[in-house]
Amino acid sequence: MKEGGRRRSLAAWLPGIAAVMFVAGVAVILAVAVGTVGGAREAATMDDARVAASLWELTGGSADVVARLRPGGITVEAVEDGGAGPGAYAYETGALEPGVWIGVAPRQGAGWPASATALALLGALFMAAWAATRLRSPPPRRYPAAIALVATGLLVMVAAAAQRWAERELTDLSAARVAQGIGAVEIAIRAGAAPDRAARVAGLPWATSAALERPDQLWTMPREVGEAIVSSPQSGDTAPYTVEARGATYHGARLIPSPPAQDALHLVFLGYEETASPDVALAASAAGSTLLVALVLFLLPLSARPRTLRRTLSAWGFLAPAATLLLVFTFGPLLFSLWISLHEWHLVDPAHPFTGLDNYRSLLVDGDWWSAIRNTAIFTLHVPLAMAVALALALLTRGSRRAARWARLALFLPGITSVVAIAVVWKWLLNDGYGLVNRLLEGAGLGSVPWLTSPDTALGSLMLISVWMVVGYQMVVFQAGLAAIPRDWYDAARVDGAGPLQRLRHITLPGLRHTLFFVLVTSVIGSFQVFGLVYVMTEGGPLGATDVAVYHIYREAWEFLRFGSAAAMSWMLFAIVFVATWLHFRFLEGRREGRVHA
Amino acid sequence: MLDRAGRAALLTLACAAMAAPFLWMAATSLMGQLEVFSSGRVLPAVPLWSNYPEALTAQPFARYFLNSLVFATAVVTGQVATATAAGYAFARIDFPGRDRVFMLFLSTMMVPVVIVLIPRFLMIDAIGWIDSYQGLVSTELVSVWGIFLMRQYFRTVPRDLEDAARVDGAGPFRVFWSVALPLAKPAVATLALFAFIDAWKNLLWPLLVTRSMEMRVVEVGIAAFHSTYEINWPYQMAAGVVAVLPIALLFLFTQRYFVRGIQLEGIR
Repeated sequence: MKEGGRRRSLAAWLPGIAAVMFVAGVAVILAVAVGTVGGAREAATMDDARVAASLWELTGGSADVVARLRPGGITVEAVEDGGAGPGAYAYETGALEPGVWIGVAPRQGAGWPASATALALLGALFMAAWAATRLRSPPPRRYPAAIALVATGLLVMVAAAAQRWAERELTDLSAARVAQGIGAVEIAIRAGAAPDRAARVAGLPWATSAALERPDQLWTMPREVGEAIVSSPQSGDTAPYTVEARGATYHGARLIPSPPAQDALHLVFLGYEETASPDVALAASAAGSTLLVALVLFLLPLSARPRTLRRTLSAWGFLAPAATLLLVFTFGPLLFSLWISLHEWHLVDPAHPFTGLDNYRSLLVDGDWWSAIRNTAIFTLHVPLAMAVALALALLTRGSRRAARWARLALFLPGITSVVAIAVVWKWLLNDGYGLVNRLLEGAGLGSVPWLTSPDTALGSLMLISVWMVVGYQMVVFQAGLAAIPRDWYDAARVDGAGPLQRLRHITLPGLRHTLFFVLVTSVIGSFQVFGLVYVMTEGGPLGATDVAVYHIYREAWEFLRFGSAAAMSWMLFAIVFVATWLHFRFLEGRREGRVHA
Repeated sequence: MLDRAGRAALLTLACAAMAAPFLWMAATSLMGQLEVFSSGRVLPAVPLWSNYPEALTAQPFARYFLNSLVFATAVVTGQVATATAAGYAFARIDFPGRDRVFMLFLSTMMVPVVIVLIPRFLMIDAIGWIDSYQGLVSTELVSVWGIFLMRQYFRTVPRDLEDAARVDGAGPFRVFWSVALPLAKPAVATLALFAFIDAWKNLLWPLLVTRSMEMRVVEVGIAAFHSTYEINWPYQMAAGVVAVLPIALLFLFTQRYFVRGIQLEGIR
């Protein structure tokens, strides 16, 4: 009786748990939005302090000039007098005046996303009311799809409202920062600074005084942005403007200094709505909380079967750590990387213009990429060779346990030890003039081989080293597989007069087929991902002969910083691995199965 | 096919060929910087033991080893914790959707790691964990292979003891912690060993998330050492010996766990 009571209460609490999850979800969404805006505001205030400090240094320490930047908001104090100034932020000016603090009042904003909060409260009330009614009457037996749909819709609406609010706030902040920067430059010029030094005072990215006629000379600016600025309508002395380029909105301003003989000043500044937009974080938190609420609701139909419900809950309790980590660091990143692959995503450029399938399209005609794929495919051919050697070794050690143990000891180490150390050793072994291998060859009168320095042989050398590395591991797997083949099959075959080759073909290989298949699939997947050997030994050379897929992707992302096309490459690699695995399953496993049945 | 002597000779030859690079590494590590370039020299005339202290202090190798140890230990702890719990749930608890969730987990083994590196890097960068232990470790705490291994193992252990504990009124976690987990010690040892070695060998991820010399792990350190001391082969070989030795010793004393792990994964 006591059991039954406990069971019912557990099921009845589920709607309440769903409601709590919902509240937690909207809280996270609001926190992300408010946090992003707060962070941007804080960064802007810090920048104000930096701008004020540069003005201070440029004008040789004039408190009046600095205070003009934001009347009432900026004060200059000696350290001895009061420390950090009136605001929360202070900037210690550089070497010129180490004893001076510039205090900057924090930037204020609209405060709180009202409509999103209202929606969130409404949703929370709804979920709570639903949970309360469910606490009295028994929960429904069927899947409460309607509630799940409403909860999802509410979460998405809250996220959308929060996103709109954040975007508005960030745009305002952006405009205010541009205005502040222009003001600082004007003050600096009026105080007699040269235009390019004045431009630097603004503290805005890409502030420059280059001539407009030469957009390619706009300092550190992507070419498209410069061209968009040049082609935008120009009017007035101090004109803030926006340009659309690369799918992002850039805020800029043009400033013509009062002695008109000098070059015109152009301040261009990348808007916040593109740089610090919380879109991705908001979408992720909305999706995550929807998933959680849906999971809890998914348990509801089980409440009619309390035993199953309890088992499900305890199972997910055990799974929670692994599932959470996989969600955050594998499944989430998979989607994120697909998203990145659809953009022109440069690590140091905050704008990520959406380009659709352009990355994939240009990869299709990218000769270097296809040569990397071809090299990877050729490299993979070391797998069958290694398997043949490993199988031979496993057969050799078959009769004796002692031989098996010793072989394991000697052969296994290359596969488990430091890849980098092994790569360095082999680089020395295969050294053109002084390596052991060439010395032995020369001693035998065979002449030396340019193992790693000729495009014809480098990839082959890496394949041989790879064979050396994996053969021990594969041998152990084969030893285990061989041990599982019944001894009397061989005895029967011997009685029938089968020779050693026939026994190998008709007993050993069919008996090992699952093991062979397993080794083949895992080794192929592994060899598609070779990196360490190439990274240390050849760096893809000579002449790109050993440029394999993962190394190519590594360079694309972390050397050329083109994350978008690197992500597209890795998805293409995944597709190739997937198809290769599928082909293995389809043809090898299927065909062997067929032959055995026939 | 072959008689005993023939087999033994072939095997000895194969083992010698496999072991030769290691011996050559050890020999070179004791030679003089110019001695290695003189023809006909394979063994050092006089073992130059001073190569070791000199190579190992040319860069902060002690720090590299500490970092690798911290990294590998954290990864082992995390993977053992997540994999035993998840493997137990998949093997022992019958819940709706179990097989589908398990297949979903397993399917990630086919995904090339390189595909998630960019997003992981951006995420770790966004929370400011680049060049820190938490950034190094946090993405590596779960191993689907480990979950698979533990599930396979738990399925081979008889349920009687767990049922007895349940009858005595133990809750699910208590049954797992004090009955099932102690029985799974051999599999845990195998998993821990493989997790340790994989973490120790991991080059790509530490290469991406560490920047300063103080945060480098051994693999990254040796790669950097290699590009700095390009032609000083004795120094490089000394560093290589020191990097290989701990794993070789570990393998020497734990061989049977390796073999058991391979057998558990290979035969289904």
